[in-house]
Amino acid sequence: MAQAAHSLNSSKPLGHGHSVKRHTGLMDWITTVDHKKIAILYLWAGGLFFGIGGLEAILIRIQLIKPMNAFLDAQTFNELITMHGTTMIFLGVMPIIFALMNAVIPLQIGARDVAFPFLNALGFWTFLFGGILLNLSWIMGGAPDAGWTAYVPLSSTTYSNTHGVDFYTIGLQIAGLGTLIGGINFLATIITMRAPGMSFMRMPMFAWTTFITSAIILFAFPAVTVGLVLLTFDRILGANFFDVAGGGNPVLWQHIFWIFGHPEVYILILPAFGIISEVIPTFSRKRLFGYSSMVFATILIAFLGFMVWAHHMFTTGLGPVANALFSVSTMLIAVPTGIKIFNWLFTMWGGQVRFTTPNLFAAGFIPTFTMGGVTGVMLASAPADFQFHDTYFVVAHFHYVIVGGLVLGLFAGLHYWWPKMFGRMLSEKLGKWTFWTFIIGFHMTFFVQHFLGLMGMQRRVFTYLPNQQFDLLNLVSTIGAGLMGVGTILFLLNAFLTSRRPADAADDPWEDGRTLEWTIPSPPPEYNFKQTPLVRGIDAFWKEKTAGHKGMTPAEPVGSIHMPSATVLPFTMSVGIFIAGLGFMFSRDEFGNAFMSFLFNNYIVTAIGLVITFGSMLLRSLYDDHGWHIEPEELEGR
Amino acid sequence: MTTAHAEPANGTLPHEPEKATLEGRNKVLAFWLFLGGEAVLFGTLFATFLALRNQTNEGPSANELFHLPLVAAATFILLVSSLTSVFAIQAMHRGRVAQLRNWLLLTVLLGLGFLGLEIYEFAEYIRHENFGMTTSAFSSAFYTLVGFHGAHVAFGILWIAVLIGQLARKGLTVVTAPKIYVSAMYWHFIDVVWVFIFTVVYLLGKVG
Amino acid sequence: MATEQHSQEGVVKHRHRHEGPQKHIVVFIFSIVLTLIAFAAVAAGGVNPAFAVVLLLVMAVLQVFVQMGFWMHLKDRGHLIPIIFMIGGFFVAGTSIIMALYWVWWD
Repeated sequence: MAQAAHSLNSSKPLGHGHSVKRHTGLMDWITTVDHKKIAILYLWAGGLFFGIGGLEAILIRIQLIKPMNAFLDAQTFNELITMHGTTMIFLGVMPIIFALMNAVIPLQIGARDVAFPFLNALGFWTFLFGGILLNLSWIMGGAPDAGWTAYVPLSSTTYSNTHGVDFYTIGLQIAGLGTLIGGINFLATIITMRAPGMSFMRMPMFAWTTFITSAIILFAFPAVTVGLVLLTFDRILGANFFDVAGGGNPVLWQHIFWIFGHPEVYILILPAFGIISEVIPTFSRKRLFGYSSMVFATILIAFLGFMVWAHHMFTTGLGPVANALFSVSTMLIAVPTGIKIFNWLFTMWGGQVRFTTPNLFAAGFIPTFTMGGVTGVMLASAPADFQFHDTYFVVAHFHYVIVGGLVLGLFAGLHYWWPKMFGRMLSEKLGKWTFWTFIIGFHMTFFVQHFLGLMGMQRRVFTYLPNQQFDLLNLVSTIGAGLMGVGTILFLLNAFLTSRRPADAADDPWEDGRTLEWTIPSPPPEYNFKQTPLVRGIDAFWKEKTAGHKGMTPAEPVGSIHMPSATVLPFTMSVGIFIAGLGFMFSRDEFGNAFMSFLFNNYIVTAIGLVITFGSMLLRSLYDDHGWHIEPEELEGR
Repeated sequence: MTTAHAEPANGTLPHEPEKATLEGRNKVLAFWLFLGGEAVLFGTLFATFLALRNQTNEGPSANELFHLPLVAAATFILLVSSLTSVFAIQAMHRGRVAQLRNWLLLTVLLGLGFLGLEIYEFAEYIRHENFGMTTSAFSSAFYTLVGFHGAHVAFGILWIAVLIGQLARKGLTVVTAPKIYVSAMYWHFIDVVWVFIFTVVYLLGKVG
Repeated sequence: MATEQHSQEGVVKHRHRHEGPQKHIVVFIFSIVLTLIAFAAVAAGGVNPAFAVVLLLVMAVLQVFVQMGFWMHLKDRGHLIPIIFMIGGFFVAGTSIIMALYWVWWD
C-alpha cells in the first residue's frame, strides 16, 4: 500500500480536470474503494471477530472441562454458545473469505478492480456495523441466548425477554445486507471484468468457487432476510408468524432458517475448496487434475445445496416421504464432493510436492474434511439422525467441516497469499508450528466429541453429571481447544513479526505461481496491471513460463488508467443503518427519561438513521463520480 | 476502464446509451442479479403467506375482507405505469429527453395513485375491519407481503423522481441513461410481483 | 457477452430502426385481457375452486412471461446471464413455496 501512495500522491488535475483529494491515515481506510485495502479491512475486522468467537469457545470449553462445573451459569453459557456460533459464521470466517476474495479475485482474472468499488466498500462497512451492533448486546442488557439458529419459541419474547435476540435479528440483517452486496459485486466482476482470453473455462478454480459462492449468497441471503424480518416483527411489532396462540407456526421458522442455512454451509466451504485447488497444484508443480470435473462438481454442490435443507429437521416430524427425499438428496452431495477429494489426491500424485506451510494446511485439509464429510453422510440417514440429533456427534461433524475444512483452508490461503497482500513472506518456521499445534489441537478437541455424542451427551447443555464416562473425553476436548488457541496465537505472532520486516517479497514468491496474481508486484500497485494481460490458456502464468516467457503478453498499450474516487459515503450509509437498527430495536421500550422515550418511541432515532442512509444514497446519485486518471508517465516512473 | 467516462466524440448518444460504457453494462447486469435475489425475497414472503393464509385466529378471513374493485383498480394503474415506463425507455433510445421526462413523470404519478389506494385499503382494514398486524398469523403475513411490495413501490417513486431531477440538471448522458434504464427494470419487476400478489393473495383468497 | 452484443450493435448503429410502440401495446392489451379473465372468473363466482386455481396461476404466469420477455427485454440477445439468474431465483422461490404448501402443517 505504501508505495502506491508515494508514487501517486500528486494533486495535479487529472482526467476531466477534477483534482484528486487523497486521504491519509484513518481517513484513507474509511474512504478507500481499492479492493486490496478493503481486503485488509475485511481481514482485520474478520480476524477481530474470529478472536472474539475463539475466546467464547475457550470459555465454553473451560465450563465443560469437568462435571458440575460452576465456572459459568446457565444463562451466560447459553449466550456464549449463541454468540460463538453466530460470530464465527457471520462475522469471523465469512469476512475472512471476503478478505481473500477481495485480495485475489481481481488479480486472478486480470482486472484493475472489482465491478463496483463503491459497493465493495459499502458491503464491508455494513458488515462491520452489523457485527458491532450484534456484539454491543454484551454491554447493552444481555447477548442473544436462543442458539445460532434462534429457533422459536425459544427466541420469542416469552422465553427470551431481553433485547438479546433483537440484537441478533437486526445485527444479522445489517451484516447480511453487506454480504449480499459483496456477492452481487463478485458475480458482476467475474462475469464482466475478466482479461482478454480468459474464458470461463480458463478461470482459476478459486475464481470459479468465488463465482458459485456469490451465486449461492445471492439466492440464500434473501431468505434469511425475510426470516429475520418475520422474527423481528413477531418480537417488536407483536406479529404472529411463529406464535401458535395467534395462529402462527414455529416449523415455518425452521424451514426458512434452513432454506438459507444449508446453502450457507456451502457458502462457507466452497471458497475453501477453491483455495485448496490453487495451493495444491502450485506446490505439486502440476496442473489441477480434472479441472472441468472440478467446475462441474462445484456447480452441482451449489445446486444440490438448495434441496437438502430439511435434513436439519428430520426429528421435527415432516413424515417419512419428506425425510426419505431429503436423505437421498443429502447423500447425493457426497458424489461431487468425492470427485473433488480424488482430484486433489490425483493432483498431488506424481507431482513434485513441496510441503510449505500453505501446502501443509492443504494436505491436512483433505483427510480432515473427508472425515467431516463421512459423518455428514451418516447424519443424512434419517433413522440414524434420530439417534445423533442434538448430541455432540453433530457438534463434532460440523466442526470437522467448518474448522477442519474451511478454517484450515483459510489458513492455507492466508499463508499462500500473504506475500501478495502485504509484500512480506510469513515465517515458514512459525507457520509450521501454527499448523501442527492447530491441527493436533483440532483433532483432540473434536474427535472425542464424536464419542461423547454417541454415548449420549447432549449439545448445548451447560454442564453434566459425573460418572457417565463423559469426564475424561471432555477434559481432552478442552485441552485440545487450548492448543487450537495456541496455534491461532502463533499465527498472530507470525503476522506481527512479519509486519516488522522489510517488504521484500518477489512478484512470484513461491516461484511456482500459476495464475495472474503472481505476474505483478507484491503488493500490487493501486491499478494492479499496468497493461491488461492477454490470457492464452488455463493457468495463464504457468503457460507463459513453460513457453519460456518471463511475463504475460499485454493485451493493450500502456495508457492512462481510470480510477474511482475515494468516498466516505459507504461509511456514512452504514452508520445510518446502524442508528436506524438501534432505534427500531428500542422503539417499544420504556425509558426512565421522558426525552429518550420521546426519541425512541416515536421512531425518531430510526428516522434519523434512515435520513443519514438515504441522504448518502442521494448524494451518491446526484454527484457523478468522474474518478481520476493515472497517466502513463506516472506508470513508467515507478 | 480507461475510456469509461468519455463522452461520445460527435456529441450524440449511441442507440442504447445505457450500454455505452462498461459501468453502464455492469450496472444493468448487476441489477439483473439483484432481481434474482429479489425473486427469492418475494418467494419467501409468498411462501410465508401461503403457509399462514388460513390462520385467521377468529379474525377476518381473506374472503370476508377483500373487495375486488379496489384491487382491480390498483392492478390497472400499476399495469399502465409499467407501459408508460416502457415508453420512457423507448423515448430515451430515440434521444427525446422531453418525452422521456414526461413518461417518467406519468409513471411516478401512477405509482403514487397505486400507493394511495394501498394506503387507503390498509387504513380501511385497520379502522373498520379490526384487521391489524397483530390480529392473526394471516394478517401478519398479509401486511408483510403486501407491505413489502408497497415499500418497493414507494422506493421506486422516490428513485424515479430523483432521476427526473437529474435528467433536468444533467441531461441524458451515458451516466444518467443506465440509471434510468435500471429504474425501469425495477419498476417492471414490481409490476411482475404485483401480478402474483393479486393472483395469489386477492383472487385465490376470494376463491378460498 | 455484453460486449459481444455491444459491438454487434455498433456495426448497425447508424441504420438502426428504433422499435415502435406497437408490440408493447400488444403486450399491454394481452396483459389486460389475462387480468380481466382472472378477475372475471373470480367475480362471476361458481367456478370450481380447483379449476380456478389452475386458471388463475396460468393467467399469472403467462402475463409475467410476456412482460419479462418484452418489457424487460429478456427475449433479446445478450440476456443469457440474466435469464440464468432469474431462473435460479424463481427456482429457489419455488422450493420455499413447495415447503410452505406441504411441509408446514400436518396432522
